[in-house]
Amino acid sequence: MAALVAPLWIAAEVSACGTCSVGDPTLTIVGFEQPKANRVRTSATLRHRNDSIGETEVDKLTLSEQRMELAGAYSPTDRVSLSLMMPVVHRLISEVNLAEASIWAPGDLDFRVRGVIWRDRKFAPRHLVSLIGGLEFPTSSIEYDANGVPLPLEFQAGTGSWDPIAGAAYTMFSDPWSVYVSSVAIFPTTGIADTRASNSFRQTALGQYQPWSFLGFQVGVEFRIDGPGYIGGVRDPNTGGHITYGTLGLVGLPHDKVVMHVTAALPLIQRLDGTHTEGFAFTAGLVYEI
Amino acid sequence: MRSRLLIAIALLNLASLVHCMRVTDGIEVDVAYQPKATPAQIRTDMGYRVALERALIVLGKVELIRCDNFVADLRGLLAPARARAHVLDTPTSLGVPLIIDLMESAGTPEFAGTMKPPPGRYCGLRVLGMPADQDAEGLTDETLDMMQNSVLIAGQVEDESTGEETPLLARIWEVLDCEVRFDRPLVFDSPVLESVSIQIDHTSWFDGIDFALQDSNAVQQQITENVRSSLQAVLPLAEADL
Repeated sequence: MAALVAPLWIAAEVSACGTCSVGDPTLTIVGFEQPKANRVRTSATLRHRNDSIGETEVDKLTLSEQRMELAGAYSPTDRVSLSLMMPVVHRLISEVNLAEASIWAPGDLDFRVRGVIWRDRKFAPRHLVSLIGGLEFPTSSIEYDANGVPLPLEFQAGTGSWDPIAGAAYTMFSDPWSVYVSSVAIFPTTGIADTRASNSFRQTALGQYQPWSFLGFQVGVEFRIDGPGYIGGVRDPNTGGHITYGTLGLVGLPHDKVVMHVTAALPLIQRLDGTHTEGFAFTAGLVYEI
Repeated sequence: MRSRLLIAIALLNLASLVHCMRVTDGIEVDVAYQPKATPAQIRTDMGYRVALERALIVLGKVELIRCDNFVADLRGLLAPARARAHVLDTPTSLGVPLIIDLMESAGTPEFAGTMKPPPGRYCGLRVLGMPADQDAEGLTDETLDMMQNSVLIAGQVEDESTGEETPLLARIWEVLDCEVRFDRPLVFDSPVLESVSIQIDHTSWFDGIDFALQDSNAVQQQITENVRSSLQAVLPLAEADL
């Protein structure tokens, strides 16, 4: 919680308009913004999601996850933005035999580079096309059972693997409207317990209407398609498939340098392989413009 | 600004220090095989003495059977069982094959594993005897032939009336599907640790066989039936009653 309010506290003594520095009043969260030389942003985001794997009364495992993601983004030039995100993960796993495991642990550090490869004009561009590259580092701790054997991936805060990331994004700013579209693919390598998480392709399309300088409304679609995951070279039957979420969100400016955002995501189409269901997800966060 | 950047970096570092895990155990059922001690000679009900030289059985899978689904599960039992590489453990089954050398057993239990079933009423166990695979516990150079057999018996049979001795060799390669019922249902509605032992009474494997009159095929068939019926599931309370 301290980390979540830290951006507010840090912002207490500042007054300049952060979004104005890039010549565009659009409120953006970290990763969606326009790069601007020496622009520095930090953020704290809380995420909640539910997941269930396996058959009811047979081998069902339910997962409730809360993540606090602490992130920072820095733009050394007008075209490049670097970001680091470190999650702290809480997982409550309930097994079919009424056993429970509660885990607090650091997740995998996420580093990304976003480079603008085309923009329609230098100052206050309305159209940006970017390439995204990155890497997830195996910084998560590894949880073991009583015999010293690593627990399955569901009990881990991260994959514990080096996961390259590649993608592209398009952003349109046309006050009071903005659109953000991104396609990102993650290619996990083998990590904890000889497990290789699924290759994953994620498509985001987000529209934002900002009738006032201090408040905007978001509506979007997030699509994810996963390949099969493997445990010790054997396919995990409850991995793979695709899912589409519909999202609704609010983004506000409670302070000149602080952006606040809230998003609810509801699965609209689930075609996940095996017996795997994802539930409602919720995100809330603060962004501070240094 | 520099100090605030340092604070932001410190917060990122703090995130990496958080770590704790709390586990609450749920319903668990320990399963053990308990073969009877092997006597020097086994007296059969048909007047023979069997002196065993080798006696091995491979138990490949143990599965809890729900009372509610007992009929459906029995229907499953009627379906032909297939030998295959062992399946992974599930909350209601153990899938790692175990080779039990009955010549070395002295009535001591051999731990098979722990099942973690969901709440419910369970009325019995399904036990599968099948040839071992590469991952079977107890697979050694001496037991390699159990990769082709579910049960292997070798020894001498002596007719008590005539004193005549004949060699005995039985190799059962087929999958043995055995269903054993508890003397009372196991009811789980909250986390608990229960234990079940599967008794193997191989001293009854040669009952009903007239070695002098029956050919080797008939002997082997009767032994197969006897192996099936020699398994018994025993709950702790029942053990105490004994």
